[in-house]
Amino acid sequence: MSGSIEVRGLSRTFHTTVRRPGFGGALRSLVNPERVAKDAVSDITFDVSPGELLALLGPNGAGKSTTIKMLTGILTPTSGEARVAGVVPYEERERNARNIGAVFGQRTQLWWDLPVRESFSILRDIYDVPEAEHRVRLREFDELLDLSSFWDTRVRHLSLGQRVRSDLAAALLHDPPVVFLDEPTIGMDVVVKEQVREFLRYQVEERGRTVLLTTHDMTEVERLAERVVLINHGRLVLDGTLDEIRRKFGSTWQVRVTLSDPHAPVEPLPGIALVRREGPQAVFGPDGPTAPTMHQALKQVIERYEVTDIALDEADLEDVMRAAYVQAGGE
Amino acid sequence: MTVTAVLRGWRAARVTPLGELHTPPRMTAALLRLTVQVVLVASLWQGLYAATGTTAGLSEDQAVTYAVLAVLAIRIRELDQYAGRDTVLQHMHFGTIVYWYLRPLPPQRYYAFRALGEQLYGLVWVIAGYAICLAAGVVDPPKSAAVAGVFAVSAFLGQWVLYYVMLAIDQLCFWTLRNGAAMLILIFAQNLLSGVYAPLWFFPDWFITLSGFLPFQATLSVPLSLYVGRIELSDAGPQLAVQAAWVVALALLTRLLWRRAARRVISQGG
Repeated sequence: MSGSIEVRGLSRTFHTTVRRPGFGGALRSLVNPERVAKDAVSDITFDVSPGELLALLGPNGAGKSTTIKMLTGILTPTSGEARVAGVVPYEERERNARNIGAVFGQRTQLWWDLPVRESFSILRDIYDVPEAEHRVRLREFDELLDLSSFWDTRVRHLSLGQRVRSDLAAALLHDPPVVFLDEPTIGMDVVVKEQVREFLRYQVEERGRTVLLTTHDMTEVERLAERVVLINHGRLVLDGTLDEIRRKFGSTWQVRVTLSDPHAPVEPLPGIALVRREGPQAVFGPDGPTAPTMHQALKQVIERYEVTDIALDEADLEDVMRAAYVQAGGE
Repeated sequence: MTVTAVLRGWRAARVTPLGELHTPPRMTAALLRLTVQVVLVASLWQGLYAATGTTAGLSEDQAVTYAVLAVLAIRIRELDQYAGRDTVLQHMHFGTIVYWYLRPLPPQRYYAFRALGEQLYGLVWVIAGYAICLAAGVVDPPKSAAVAGVFAVSAFLGQWVLYYVMLAIDQLCFWTLRNGAAMLILIFAQNLLSGVYAPLWFFPDWFITLSGFLPFQATLSVPLSLYVGRIELSDAGPQLAVQAAWVVALALLTRLLWRRAARRVISQGG
């Protein structure tokens, strides 16, 4: 089954009541409530190919969770349409449920009073997974997530890391082609985070699952995603690769070289500015929107000049995203 | 019904009983509480009847049997879902209610299966308690096989009504996010108007008439009155019909509420 996600002009408007301040305001709101419409998601279009991991990024309140809720079928869009693995999720909830797995941050779908393995058995029956298949999948997940060391423990006694690993396994027990992960590693320590990332990489690369991930952890994005969709105020700001994002929002790299001839003349290159020159030291930086990536710039510099030493500085993805959020917020 | 559907139902039905079995202190506490309640209630009614014969149409044996059976019956739904973080209120609060809508088992069916398991598990407690009380002579057996049969039908309908009442209160969470106050009112109303605190026959006529417009007396008072013979077998038909009518009315109401609740899930939390 194809695990593609197609989103076309998806919008969702919520209507809320304005709460006026003070006693009089509260009374007025009670007698004559003022309703306002808020566009949580507005005209979003993107695709995710089968076997691709896409990071859906944006600041808090940008509309990421609302988008995921529409794609999981929990929420019906105000306009536009979406297809997940060929199914319109909000029209065929049950059919869609068989095609998708989901983890919502620290919200567990496991039964608090039961051992983890018992929760897995309940889900196996809910999703009609044959017993033999269930056993094979549990073994596979155990190898990747080390579940057997705690799967006979009741969920209430698990650490956060153990619980999230169990939840990831629970979300994939029925072998869904599409997985939605809404900040799955929030609050976890670095070791468990890395284990989860390995697991996700395996699911995408080896199992061909389509993953839509939202996170605020840029290390996670860098390690897992090739493509990113950035939304802010409910609108799509950018859909592209990490390189494209860096180029657009994070052109803050510097290439510092030591020239073999300290008196050699140095001039700017196409898209590359000479930032500073001090004796044999020359510092290059990006020049304008058509600036090359840091690695392309490095190639051009060493092809043009004879250098004895090179140092590279690049803004990390966190800086890039900060710039992107600020710029997108101002647009 | 397919084997798969039965399996699904069985697993969902096991959730709360299994949680109880994994928590022996909760079972011990329930056993102690039930024992103390039965002893106190039996002593209270025996004491109240010490200086009188028949009151409100009930003899001492009838009143004690009614009161003890009422105490046993409330155990059917008195499971500690809260400790298991499995109340609808908690699922709304923690945002985990979304998972009910992400499974190929519709939330209303999952809820029904789970409630069925709880009620069957509670029934085991009731039957065990009833057998002990019967052996100890605390309660009387039904007067005839016909009374036992009609009581069984009425008790079944009563539990069905109770299921829908509890469901409607749980569904309130989708609108209010908190149903603590509603639950407190419900528990008080249920205990008072169904006859747990005292058989309804001891209340003034206007109170009995008024409570007839609510579903509570259909849950417990009607089956227990049939059991002790306060309602004659010849009058059982209309009573069973009223219970069945409550089942239908509440089924329609809760069905409508489930449909509307689905639209509310999304607006609670990001």
